[in-house]
Amino acid sequence: MVIRTAGLRKEYGSTVALHGVDLDIDSGGVVGILGPNGAGKTTLVEILEGLRQPTSGSVSVLGLDPATQSRELKERLGVQLQTTPLPRDLTVRELLQLFASFYESARSPEAILEQVDLEGAAGQKANTLSGGEKQRLVVGIALIHDPELVMLDEPTTGLDPKARRDLHQVVRELREQGRTTLLTTHYIEEAEHLCDRVIMLRRGEIVADGTPFDLVGQSKESSTIWIQVDGTMDPAPMLAAGVEPLGEQGGHHKFSTADPTATILALGDMLRSQCLRLIDLRLKRPTLEDVYLELMGSDVNEEEEEVTEGSP
Amino acid sequence: MSRLRGLGPLTRAGLLQAFRSPTSLFWNLLFPLTWLFLFGLIFFRDTGDKVLMMPGLFTITIMSGAFFGVSYLMVNERESGILRRYRATPVSPTTIVLANGIRAIVTMSLAITTQATVGWLVFRYQVDGSLLLTVLVLLIGAAAFVPLGLFVGSVAQDMRSAPAITNLLFFPLIFGSGAALPASMLPGWAQTASRLIPSSYLVEALHGVMVRGYGLAQLAGPVAVLFVTMGVGIWANGRLFRWESSEPIDRRKLLVTVAVIAAVYVVAALVAPAFQMTDAPGRG
Repeated sequence: MVIRTAGLRKEYGSTVALHGVDLDIDSGGVVGILGPNGAGKTTLVEILEGLRQPTSGSVSVLGLDPATQSRELKERLGVQLQTTPLPRDLTVRELLQLFASFYESARSPEAILEQVDLEGAAGQKANTLSGGEKQRLVVGIALIHDPELVMLDEPTTGLDPKARRDLHQVVRELREQGRTTLLTTHYIEEAEHLCDRVIMLRRGEIVADGTPFDLVGQSKESSTIWIQVDGTMDPAPMLAAGVEPLGEQGGHHKFSTADPTATILALGDMLRSQCLRLIDLRLKRPTLEDVYLELMGSDVNEEEEEVTEGSP
Repeated sequence: MSRLRGLGPLTRAGLLQAFRSPTSLFWNLLFPLTWLFLFGLIFFRDTGDKVLMMPGLFTITIMSGAFFGVSYLMVNERESGILRRYRATPVSPTTIVLANGIRAIVTMSLAITTQATVGWLVFRYQVDGSLLLTVLVLLIGAAAFVPLGLFVGSVAQDMRSAPAITNLLFFPLIFGSGAALPASMLPGWAQTASRLIPSSYLVEALHGVMVRGYGLAQLAGPVAVLFVTMGVGIWANGRLFRWESSEPIDRRKLLVTVAVIAAVYVVAALVAPAFQMTDAPGRG
């Protein structure tokens, strides 16, 4: 077990940021922590990093207690904080050399530059980098000592789509190298495409935990089916199978169903008995976003606005 | 040695920053020269005063380096979150504080060398006593006051309160110590009170070697007080270092630390006559 917490609670004055979080994370893969602002993502990650102390509960990271064995832990843990100011007037290579010197053993700055695709910017001052380049540098710094466990706190917030994709590639390589990566994000599609496991946090509590497939499967949201046939269709057999008609759209009959498998079987029977030929069939399963919206309820509105505005 | 891992690279990075930033170059090199010319134009026309004021000038350079240079830097690195990022690595507070201290001593040395060189070229100023001993006393002085500057950097809440605190300390340190004005110009009670001000011992030691040509043995009193200042400063840093602005300052620890520092100078002021330091600089 790479990370284990039990009854983890954090209060800031009268505000409760984490309400007894129990978490078990195995080695390997990318684990996403998804939730709106104020859900407690950063608090959780920073407790795991040893930067904050929990009010109560137990934490173990790589078998160590972040509060009392932080030096040992930091040698094996790579961290990207949500905001990482870097010392001014130093070049990318100088910053990597500086951070490398803090660890017992470290990789060469050149290896990191290659991994995060910054070879061309090695001699550039960090404060002149673009947003995407700076973020890749910050992730590169997190990897300088070849850590087993990497924690990235909203690494892609505020980046343009191209810069975001470049960073996703870096994270995928971390998985291929067998490292465990813990990543917080409020981009749902990022969690869906990048993570092997998604943990949804709402108001300091875990409200969902599983692979993106599992979570979508658990959704109460129904699937939508579009059907186009080469004749006049009597939908009665499908309605009998519990399918709800949603009218027509672009020459397609549109239905909503809670059980897509049963619906497709009923559709087959209907086509055969009415001698119809299928021209087009489309099925839209609920997405992780639907599950997220279902679980977050009213908390999400504020967040959506921010995401569309594209500001962190 | 793992407590000091990264000290070399962190010090080097700090020096690179100091020499690449125009603002930092201005404060580290040009500003001390401004003081030199200010002093030169006011005092150096008269040969007697010229000799007397150089120890005061060097003391001011060390004070401004220790209080404006070092303490602002610490507050700024903490407030901007750079220290917080370091906190996520195994680097120790000792390394960070020491690297900042060494950087400050190096930049101060450069400032003083520049002042001395330009002072010699323009005002024909020369040290009467041993040059080697002068350098030694200057280094002891820098090493004594840099920890106090770092300590102020640890207890100043943010960049708004830091200037208030440093100015509050800086002016007594230069005006009450005989650094900016000859002590002989101060009334008798102020001369006695200046014994409570740590920088007066640096002025005294520099005055002793540079003007009177004293040897190390004759400087033992003020130099001892400077060493105590260094010890107290280092001890205070260890107690009150903070990684983040949001970390509360331990009021009790702060109070005890300030009380100990104050007590040190009360004792020094009482013991001072025994070291024959009653002869305030500027009257020799």
